[in-house]
Amino acid sequence: MVENKIPTSYNEALKILATGSYQVLNGGTDLMVRYRGWSETRVKFKKNMLHIHNLDELNYITSKDEYIHIGATTTHETILHHPLIPEIMKKCLRVFASPAIRNMGTLVGNIGNASPAGDAVLIAYLLEARLVVESLRHQREVPIEDFIKGPGSIALAPDEIIKEIYFKKLNFNATYFTKVGGRQSDAISKVMFAAGYRLDADKIVDIRIAIGAVSPTIIKDKTIEKSIKGYTLKNLSNQKSMILSQYAAHINPIDDQRSNKHYRKKVALNLLEAFLNDIITRS
Amino acid sequence: MKEKQNISVGIDNVEAADKIAGLAKYTSDIVIEGMLYAKTVRSTIPRGTIREIKIPTLPKGYYTVDATDIPGDNIVGMLRDDWPVFAAHHVNHIGEPIMLIVREDKAIITEIVNKITITYDEAEPTFDFTDSCEQLSFQKGNTKKAFKEAKKIIDYTYETGYQEQTYIEPQGFIGYPENDGVTLIGSIQCPYYVKHAVMQTLGASEDLVRVIQATVGGAFGGKEEFPSLMACQLAVAIHKIARPIKMIYEREEDMEVTTKRHPAKITMSAAIDADNRVMAIKSHVGLDGGAYIGLSKVVLSRGMLASTNAYTIENVTARGDVYRTNTVPNGAFRGFGAPQMIFAIEMFMHHIAKDLNIDPLTFRKAHMVKQGDLTATSGVFRDPVIMNSMLEEVLKQSNYIEKVKQYQHPESNKGIGMSWFLHGFGFTGSGEKDKIKARVRLKKDEQDNVHILIAAVDMGQGPKTTMRKLVANLLDYPIEKVIFNNPDTRYVPDSGPTVASRTMMIVGGLLARATKKLQDQWVAHQEVVTEESYEQPSYVQWDNEAMHGDAYPAYSWGINVCEVEVDRQTYEVRVRNMWNIYDVGKAIDERIVLGQADGGQAQGIGYGYLEVMNHREGKIMQKNMTDYIIPTAADTPPMENTLMDNPYPLGPYGAKGVGELTLVGGAPAVALAIEQAIGKKVHTIPVTPERIMELIDNE
Repeated sequence: MVENKIPTSYNEALKILATGSYQVLNGGTDLMVRYRGWSETRVKFKKNMLHIHNLDELNYITSKDEYIHIGATTTHETILHHPLIPEIMKKCLRVFASPAIRNMGTLVGNIGNASPAGDAVLIAYLLEARLVVESLRHQREVPIEDFIKGPGSIALAPDEIIKEIYFKKLNFNATYFTKVGGRQSDAISKVMFAAGYRLDADKIVDIRIAIGAVSPTIIKDKTIEKSIKGYTLKNLSNQKSMILSQYAAHINPIDDQRSNKHYRKKVALNLLEAFLNDIITRS
Repeated sequence: MKEKQNISVGIDNVEAADKIAGLAKYTSDIVIEGMLYAKTVRSTIPRGTIREIKIPTLPKGYYTVDATDIPGDNIVGMLRDDWPVFAAHHVNHIGEPIMLIVREDKAIITEIVNKITITYDEAEPTFDFTDSCEQLSFQKGNTKKAFKEAKKIIDYTYETGYQEQTYIEPQGFIGYPENDGVTLIGSIQCPYYVKHAVMQTLGASEDLVRVIQATVGGAFGGKEEFPSLMACQLAVAIHKIARPIKMIYEREEDMEVTTKRHPAKITMSAAIDADNRVMAIKSHVGLDGGAYIGLSKVVLSRGMLASTNAYTIENVTARGDVYRTNTVPNGAFRGFGAPQMIFAIEMFMHHIAKDLNIDPLTFRKAHMVKQGDLTATSGVFRDPVIMNSMLEEVLKQSNYIEKVKQYQHPESNKGIGMSWFLHGFGFTGSGEKDKIKARVRLKKDEQDNVHILIAAVDMGQGPKTTMRKLVANLLDYPIEKVIFNNPDTRYVPDSGPTVASRTMMIVGGLLARATKKLQDQWVAHQEVVTEESYEQPSYVQWDNEAMHGDAYPAYSWGINVCEVEVDRQTYEVRVRNMWNIYDVGKAIDERIVLGQADGGQAQGIGYGYLEVMNHREGKIMQKNMTDYIIPTAADTPPMENTLMDNPYPLGPYGAKGVGELTLVGGAPAVALAIEQAIGKKVHTIPVTPERIMELIDNE
């Protein structure tokens, strides 16, 4: 029989985790569904569960210097309505899942779930977010792209918890977000695209591109982004097909019951091209 | 004296308050002391012979129930008796029931079910349209001659996919032994279908089987014939174990193993004369029946009868086949074959016009049915047909003609589509007279309460409200004094199944007559009972063999107009607006009819552009609400719905049927709108973004 514990403080949570035999449940909008049993029977968790979503200590959104910090138990709905949150995250959360899931689910939980189709995970990549991971042994920080190793696979020791996520405020001329799901609400993404850029005169001084649900982890390639920085709009126009083919090499989607790989790849590249065209025609 | 209110003015749905408050008792809410639970052990292969079933050593107090426990026939009684209650030797689709495991503790039942191993001698499954096991055809005029004389012949093939009813409440029953027999309470549309099926399986007499309807959380045809299968299994279990037993499907089980709308392949061929008129249409409908045929033949017939839709065509040849495949059996779903055919004929008329290079609207109008015209089966449209004024009204509301021109511009990415349709009500031909033989009863008790005793089920479509309103209005009596409880076969006569949009027109019509009788025989503070049974209008003549004559006594009519925008990067469709107009004779309650319209249209357009279901080697791929995409409120456009008054002389207050009508035109309306937006002909639904991408790419 698995144990379920609800800690009353963050410190108690760390102590329970130190036993090494608990998994964190933070909102439960994925885990409760994954381990559901026959109706009227208990959830079939495979491990001992630590239910942390009532921990108010981790329910915060704060700003320090250039950075915004979001505590682990902060729900999507709270984030959506908070003044400190950048518009790109709000664009995503407005069409994220359903009202019920947004009120229960958490951003940190979405990251811990590490689905390649996690909408808010895509934005965390775009924001180049870092995670604060803690245990009784230590505290460490890890960039999101190092934390998520593959679908459902994260770099977290059994005694560790994700305490918060933080990222630097953006300074972009424009940001883009497109979620392609089966319908307008309550849909798992077939493809996701997020991007932003900053221009100085006609020179690109910053650009970020993240593409989701088309490979085992979110595609965000700092090398390609770096190569674009410094381009004039004319350079960008000349290099457009090269950039598209660089990203195309990363895009490796699957066929499943929701869509097919041909569609996912084509739409991802369409969205990328539309984004690049939009920058070019801004001039 | 107060003036009698117009019957159509909406009143509060009598079931709404309890449903909203969570007080309504659905099957899963019913608890009987000492009850056991049943779970089904199912086949995991699409076709084969069962070699061995290995059951783990059983803890005490648990039971297996299978084909060997059936006292009567191992067949679910429905239109064609080919569907076993439990697979005894052979399995013909994945998920076919083989046995039940029954016990008190759900957790242990699951464990046992998981430990049972079944080995098979596998056989080669069939998934394509090759094994025809039902054929139908009919003929009007001389198609051969017309095709010989034609100036031009135009052919197209259309395909439609599965559609899942997606009722909110999954299928379920609870039953218990009662006086040497069984009583079953369930989520059902047709109490007497269930009763008769259970009698056959138990080999029991009428008095030993009692069926009671619990509150039903949606059905859409999905609870027409499928519940008979579950009820037969549960009845066998109760017969064996003599304890109360509950069997409720989980969502994924329900979506994987219950009946769905038949996928169809429809070929159409038109003979065109020198004046660009359709002289003749030849059509062939192929339906995927799944592993067992059940009522598929009637679905096929409904589809074929719609083959000329709201158009008068002089010469018609219609043929159809139901094909057996090793997939989940398909069955009843709102529209019953018509949505497939109306999609095909509406696209076809449009495609013919395009190929002839003439305006599709003008072309359609030239073929529009008029009063007195002959139907596809040479019956007569006897009652006034007001499609022309409906068309005028909807053209004005939607600004259709102007928008068609505007959206011709390829850069607009917008499109507008229009569908016309009709739907006949009640059972086809002489079915009401020969098969159903509906009876209704009214009982006034000594307190002067009037009890409606019919087998019609309120599954959300509102007869609890409309039937009470009908009787109260006719009696000019307070609606609170008119009582309509959930049907219980112990007390209500067989007024027929709650299907085929027949409830108000047929059952309501009989109730209206019984009410008049009651009025005549009314004696205060004394019990008075009146009955009525179905009599076919004398003018209805139907030859079932030749499929010739009046397939239905009357038709309801409709037009849907749908406006869409297609995203050029993602190929996603946004439905922007819908305008809809209906002739349902007379609305017994406008609010309820408009609610039916909103729901039917959403389900109709969902069928056309969103709802993807397919199987891989016989296994259904979309098994939950996450993967099976029905429209949410966010996908549903603003809908302008208009009801016309065109009373039908034999309907109560002039009412005709409603339920199915509002669904059947949705798919072609949205598909034609998408066709215009992308500038490519659409032949297959659902028109998903994946398909739109292919259409655009295959220049």
